[in-house]
Amino acid sequence: MNQILLSIALFLRASIRYKSSKNFIRDILTNSNNPYKKYVDITIIFLIVTSIFILIYEVKHPVPKWLYIYDVYFVSFVFSIEYILRLWVYNNITESIIKEHKEAHFLGRKFTPMKVFKDGLLEKLKYIFTPSALIDLLAIFPAYRPLRVLRIFVLFRVLKLLRYTKSINQFTEVLSNKKFELLTLLFLLFFIVMTAGIAIYVLEEGFNQNINTLFDALYWALVTMSTVGYGDISPVTQEGRIISILVIISGIAMISFATSVIVSAFSEKLSELKENRIIEQVNKSKSFLLVCGYGQMSKMFFRQYGAEYDNYIILEISKERMEQARKDGYDAIHEDASRYETLSKFNTDHCDITVLCLTSSDVENIYITLNAKSISSNIKVIARANDFNMVSKFEHAGANHILMPNRVVNSMIHTAITKPTMYKAIHAILTGKSIARVDEIRAYECEIMIGKTIQYLEFKKAKLLFMGIQRGSTFMFNPSRNEVVQYGDILLVMGREISLKYFISLYNGVSE
Amino acid sequence: MKNRKILLFGYGNHGKYIAKGLVEDGFKVQVIENNENFYNNALDEGFTDACKIDVTKDELLMALNPESYKQLVCVMDDEHLNVFLTLSLRSLFKKSYILSISDSIHTTKKLQMAGANMVIDLYEVSANKIHNILNRPVATQLLEEFVVHKNDIGFRELIIPPKSFLSGLMTDDIDLSEYGVLLVGLIDEERGHHFEFITTGINHKLDSGDTLVCIGKEEMLNNFVDLINKKEI
Repeated sequence: MNQILLSIALFLRASIRYKSSKNFIRDILTNSNNPYKKYVDITIIFLIVTSIFILIYEVKHPVPKWLYIYDVYFVSFVFSIEYILRLWVYNNITESIIKEHKEAHFLGRKFTPMKVFKDGLLEKLKYIFTPSALIDLLAIFPAYRPLRVLRIFVLFRVLKLLRYTKSINQFTEVLSNKKFELLTLLFLLFFIVMTAGIAIYVLEEGFNQNINTLFDALYWALVTMSTVGYGDISPVTQEGRIISILVIISGIAMISFATSVIVSAFSEKLSELKENRIIEQVNKSKSFLLVCGYGQMSKMFFRQYGAEYDNYIILEISKERMEQARKDGYDAIHEDASRYETLSKFNTDHCDITVLCLTSSDVENIYITLNAKSISSNIKVIARANDFNMVSKFEHAGANHILMPNRVVNSMIHTAITKPTMYKAIHAILTGKSIARVDEIRAYECEIMIGKTIQYLEFKKAKLLFMGIQRGSTFMFNPSRNEVVQYGDILLVMGREISLKYFISLYNGVSE
Repeated sequence: MKNRKILLFGYGNHGKYIAKGLVEDGFKVQVIENNENFYNNALDEGFTDACKIDVTKDELLMALNPESYKQLVCVMDDEHLNVFLTLSLRSLFKKSYILSISDSIHTTKKLQMAGANMVIDLYEVSANKIHNILNRPVATQLLEEFVVHKNDIGFRELIIPPKSFLSGLMTDDIDLSEYGVLLVGLIDEERGHHFEFITTGINHKLDSGDTLVCIGKEEMLNNFVDLINKKEI
């Protein structure tokens, strides 16, 4: 038996297909950063909503046979598959068995896979009894029509929706932070309801024709306490009325207490919830900017180009400046970009992330660079270096681009003094404004261009100045007219934006 | 160039590098500082004629005779002082060309109001650069190399001499790429003394006295200058 378990475990571990499909399913079911998860979610939500709709419709109207089959068989089938998959990916028994085998081999003790196997199953059993798993399980059963009480199963399908609605999850999360207060409140409620219920039962049983059982008395106590007051049961004796007064007063106190607990829980968490929402939003996009620090540099950058960037987040460690950024109308969160937890919240697997380290401290910028690079080498980092001596350190840290404001501006001043006429030209080119953008055309984006020689490309027609080709790491300035454009080439041109757009439209095969 | 004298106020973060760069390019730089440390740095680093004066005193500024300089460059580290200096210089010397550096967003406007002919804004320049790196990384890198003449490629401005073979030609008809240089833009004196890019689409008639701004390899640019200076070809 042991041998069979081990060989099955080894076989499954060796199978790449098994592993990759398990990982894929786990990711698609549980990782909210997976871009395909939303399709699974939408499908399930659709099934739930239609099934609820069918049941509501059925109350008054006959339902066609195919809808009945859809509801009872198809939806249940899909839900059971989902349930089984969730159970499957919850833990990894295979790994535990192999680990146990290795340990047993190493220590020379007896190999007991059954124990590990049982532990694994037990863990799965634990999962089965978690609230969300229970709801999933009960939601599989279609509402049993003939028996009215069993229609309650549709309720579990409604509850299943909760798994897919983030705000409800957040609501419970927020409330769970106030567990202690809420439990105290619940206990108090229980105590008062019991006391008042028993008192009214003892005092009015026999006098009040509406109170026949203890359940009636407890029901009255709760209805009165909650200030709902249906009025179907009301005290008739003097003593009973005194009890009522006490219950009503304590009811008002309880309600205001409960309200204040919930409100304070939310106000404490509100900013965090907001920030999480911003992060989630940006994680859904294909590429985005993380701007670290909202100082003069970032302010200027956003003032000039903010409108051109949709997907970005400003991370600012100082609360004051974060508020300032929000006031200026930008998405900012109060986080320390040099912390691992902060940057790892972002979806590094499925997005192109560019980090701009623009704080005024070089030490901070290097730290953020290292932090970003340690999380994923896919993250691009553009770092600001104030001190020229820091450049090699930034290079070591792995920054993709190093921006030296002082050096840039010094060279600009130098040009302005030495070549005043040209300064304007170079300034316009560098700032990329209007008529003199120097821009790059990527050959792979303009497929028609590939394989043609330079002389046949219509730069003149588009009023562009062709400057050269960047091929690999070498730049060919003003290459021969017979040079053939290759797939990876980047063509450097100068001209107006409209010229550039026109030229690209000539060669990208989209327009005529 | 006739006058290659620059009066440089400030030898701090920026002044230091600018002064050295200018000296390398053959300019004569007079350094003025009011900070003891920066002044000593200037002396140590070879600017032996540097002066330490209180730049808020008008009579001391007058004594420097700024009008004999080609440009007055204000790059003091203290931005308040820099604005004040720009204002004093403008009120004292109406005709001088004043270039100032702005070290914060709000200073740029103040410097312009104070009368600087040109203000270079540290943050504006940097913000542009970030935008360029994000959107056209290759072009940005190459351009920078052109500006500092790395790769041997650089910009050059040249004036068309009288009776050059270029005069009388239209810009649409000439193709300088066969000489290994590219025409980026020009100052067409017929249309006023201002720079225009070739890509604006205007067909300029070249005359002697017009200034061409070209880009190319150093050697090719030199050859081209020799060529246009020949009377005929």
